Amino acid sequence: MDKANQIKYEVLDFSPVKSFFVSMLTRDILLDDAILDLLDNCVDGILRSGRTGGSKPYAGFKAEIEFKKDTFSISDNCGGIPWSLHEYAFTMGRASKPGRPPDPAGTMGAYGIGMKRAIFKMGKRCLISTRSGKDQYEVEITPDWLGEESEWFIPVSSAKRSGEEDGTTIVIGDLHDGISKKFTDDAEYFNSELVGKISGHYSFIIDKGFEVIINGEPIKPRATKLAFDRSREEGVIRPYIFKTKSGGVEVFLTVGFTRGIPTPSEILDEEKSPKYSSLEAGWTILCNDRAVLYCDRSELTGWGEAGIPRYHTQFIAISGIVEFKSDVASNLPTTTTKRGIDSSLPLYLQIKNKMRDGMRIFTDYTNKWKGREEEAKALIQKGEKLSFEKIKEEAQGLSFRHISTSFPPGDQYQPKLPLPFKPEPTNRRISFTREITKIRTVGEYFGNPDMAPSGVGEKCFNTIYEEAQRKK
Amino acid sequence: MKSPAYHLRPNKAAERFAFIEAIKRLTKLGGNLEEYTYYGLGGPYLEDCRLFYEFYPEISMVSIEENEEVFKRQQFHLPCGNLHLEPKDMKSFITQYEPNDKKSIFWLDYTRLEYGCFDEFKVLLGKITEKSMIKVTVRAESDDFWDEYKNPRSEKIEMFQREFMTILPDPSIIPPRDSREFANLLQKMLQIAAQQALPAEATSLVFQPVSSFYYTDGKGMFTLTGIMCKRSNKWRVVKAFKDWEFANFKWEKPTRIEIPILSTKERLHVQRHLPCKTSRGAILRAELGYLIDEDIPTTEDALEQYAAFHRYFPYFLRGTP
Repeated sequence: MDKANQIKYEVLDFSPVKSFFVSMLTRDILLDDAILDLLDNCVDGILRSGRTGGSKPYAGFKAEIEFKKDTFSISDNCGGIPWSLHEYAFTMGRASKPGRPPDPAGTMGAYGIGMKRAIFKMGKRCLISTRSGKDQYEVEITPDWLGEESEWFIPVSSAKRSGEEDGTTIVIGDLHDGISKKFTDDAEYFNSELVGKISGHYSFIIDKGFEVIINGEPIKPRATKLAFDRSREEGVIRPYIFKTKSGGVEVFLTVGFTRGIPTPSEILDEEKSPKYSSLEAGWTILCNDRAVLYCDRSELTGWGEAGIPRYHTQFIAISGIVEFKSDVASNLPTTTTKRGIDSSLPLYLQIKNKMRDGMRIFTDYTNKWKGREEEAKALIQKGEKLSFEKIKEEAQGLSFRHISTSFPPGDQYQPKLPLPFKPEPTNRRISFTREITKIRTVGEYFGNPDMAPSGVGEKCFNTIYEEAQRKK
Repeated sequence: MKSPAYHLRPNKAAERFAFIEAIKRLTKLGGNLEEYTYYGLGGPYLEDCRLFYEFYPEISMVSIEENEEVFKRQQFHLPCGNLHLEPKDMKSFITQYEPNDKKSIFWLDYTRLEYGCFDEFKVLLGKITEKSMIKVTVRAESDDFWDEYKNPRSEKIEMFQREFMTILPDPSIIPPRDSREFANLLQKMLQIAAQQALPAEATSLVFQPVSSFYYTDGKGMFTLTGIMCKRSNKWRVVKAFKDWEFANFKWEKPTRIEIPILSTKERLHVQRHLPCKTSRGAILRAELGYLIDEDIPTTEDALEQYAAFHRYFPYFLRGTP
C-alpha cells in the first residue's frame, strides 16, 4: 500500500453539539407536553421537600403558568432547586456522578432533559430564579450563549426571590415565531388544549391538593370515576381490581363502567356525527401520580388483541386506571417524554394481561345486555361513581383472592356482574330508521321535538298498542 | 318541518336586518357585491332570499334544503330568478362546495346546538376564500341545562361536556345559567373552532368577527358573523365596520337583542327623537311619559333596545293578499 496515501486514524470527537439539544431534541415533544414536563419538575420539587403525606399530599403547593405574546412563565412554591442539585438540574442529560444525593421517593425526573427541552422548545432567552432554603440564585440563558457551540458554561448569580416561599420561577422570552403565534393568534385554542391536557393528565395530582393556575384560572381535575355499588350484595356493578408489587414497583389496576352502556340509537348518533364521547373512555396509566397515558383505546392498552375486541363506540362506558408507583423513576414503564408507555417493559406486558382480564368482564357484560341497554344502564346507575382514590379505599373492604399463578402474582377482586335472565322469548326487538326531520315532527307531536329517536319509536308503538287494545 | 314566520320572531327579524347591514359593508373591502354568492337555509318561505333580493339583486343565491316536502314548498315560493334551490343537507353541501376563487356569503342557520354545527363551520373555514363572510346561528338556551328550580340538569351537562369537549375552553365547564354568559361561551367555542381550522402557523387567513348577537323569540339563539381575511389585513375589516354600533372585532361579549313590543303609534312617536347617542332609554321614556315595563330601569332598558335596533325592526302589518 502506498504509505503516503494511507489515512492516519485518530481519535474521534464524540462531544455533543449544542444545536442538537436546542433545535433537534425539541422536535420530539409537543408544546403542551413540554409544559407538562415543567409541571413534573414542580411535583418533584414537592417530593424533595419531604412535606407530603396524608390524603392530600400536595395541598398548599401550586404552579402558576402565564403565557402572552412575548413571554411564557411558570412560577411555583414547590421547594426550589437546592444548590446541591444544580448539576442535575442544569446539565443537558443526566450523568451519574458519585456523591449525588439519591432521588427522593416518587420523583419522575430520570433523564435530565425536561426543563431544558421545554425552554428551548419555546424561546431563545430564559431566566431561571430559584430559592431553596439558604440557596438563592438565578441563571440566565441568552441567545448569544445558545448560538455559541463551544460554550457550555453559564454564570450563576445570587439573587433574592420575592415572596416568602421556596420555589422556582422560569421566564422564557425571545419566543420562537410559531410559539408566539400559539400564544396570541391561536391563544384560545392553545389554552383549551393545555387546560384539557392538564385537567386530564394532572387530575390525580390536582385531586390530591396541587393547584395549577393558567393565566389566572385554576384548573379543575377531570378524573375518571367508576360505578361502584357499595351494597353488600353480589351480582352488582363494581370494578375489577388487581394489585401487586414487583421489582420495586407497586401496581394497582382497576377497570369498570363510567356510565350506562349506550343504546343502539346512541351508538348510531355517535357514528353519524362526531360527539367525542369516546375521548373519556379507555385506559389511563399513572406513573407516580402522573398520567403518562390518558384514555387510550389502542392495542397499547390491550384493545383489539388476545380476544379483546377492538375499541368501538359500544364500549364507550368502559374505563380503566393502572397506577405504577416506584421510588426509582427508571423502573416505571414510561418514555423520556413521560407522556407515553414503554410497552416493551416486561412488567407492563405482564400487567397488560391483567388489564385485558379485567376489560373482558366489561366487554362481555356490554355484549350480554345488548337489546336491554336501558335495564343495564339502570343497574350501572345504582352504583355511586367513585374516584380512583376512593376505589382504593373501598377496596380494603372487598375480599381479594391471591393469584399465585399470574405474572407477577397478586391479589385480585373479580366482580360478579348481574346477568340478564335468558331467554325471554316474549320480547322481540323492533328497529327501523326514519328521516331526522320526521322523527322531530313526531317528537313535537308528543310534546318534545328533541325526544330521543328510541323514545319516539316507543311512544308511537305504545300509542297504537293502546288504541289496538281499546278496539279489541 | 315547522318554521315559525318572521313576524313571530321579531328579534330574529331585526338581527337579519343587521346582517343586511353587514353585507353592505363588504363593498368597503374592495370589489362589488355581484362578485358574491349567498348560500343559506331559506326554509319553506325563502324569506331570507326574498329580502336579500330586495336589497342586493346583484348577489346570486343558493338555498340548501334537505327535506323533500320543504323543498317542494320552496319551489312554490321561488321569489326571483337568481336563486338556485339545492336539495341537500348542509353537511353534504359543504363537503362538495368548491369556491373556485369566488367570494361567498354563508349563513349556517342552525336551530339546534350540536357538535356537527361547529364541525361544518370548521370545514367551511378551510375552503372559503378571502373576503368571504360566514354567519353562524345556533341554539343558545341555557334552560336546556338548568331546570325551572335553578338546579343543574347533571346528565345534560355531562352530555354537553362530552359532546363539545374538543372546543370547550375548559372541559369541566358548566353551561352558565345567564343567557349572555351562555351565548359568550358559545362564541368562545366558535373562536376555538376557528383557530383549530385556521392555525396561525399553517395559514395566513383568519376568521375576523364583525358582530355577534343573542336573542330570544321563544327559544334563545346566538349568532356570530365574521369575514375571512389575511391576518395582515385585519385592519381593513376593522376599518370597514368600525363606525357600526354593533361591531365586535375582539370576540367581546355578544350584544343582546330584546326589542320591546310597541304599537305603531308609539313607534312613530318615539322615532322622531331618534337617532340620539346617549341616554336613549331615558329620553324615549320621558317622551312617552309612561312605563312600558315593570319599573323605570326595565322600561329604559327596553326603550334603549328599541333605540338601538329600531332601524332593523320591521313593521308587521296585517294585509289581505
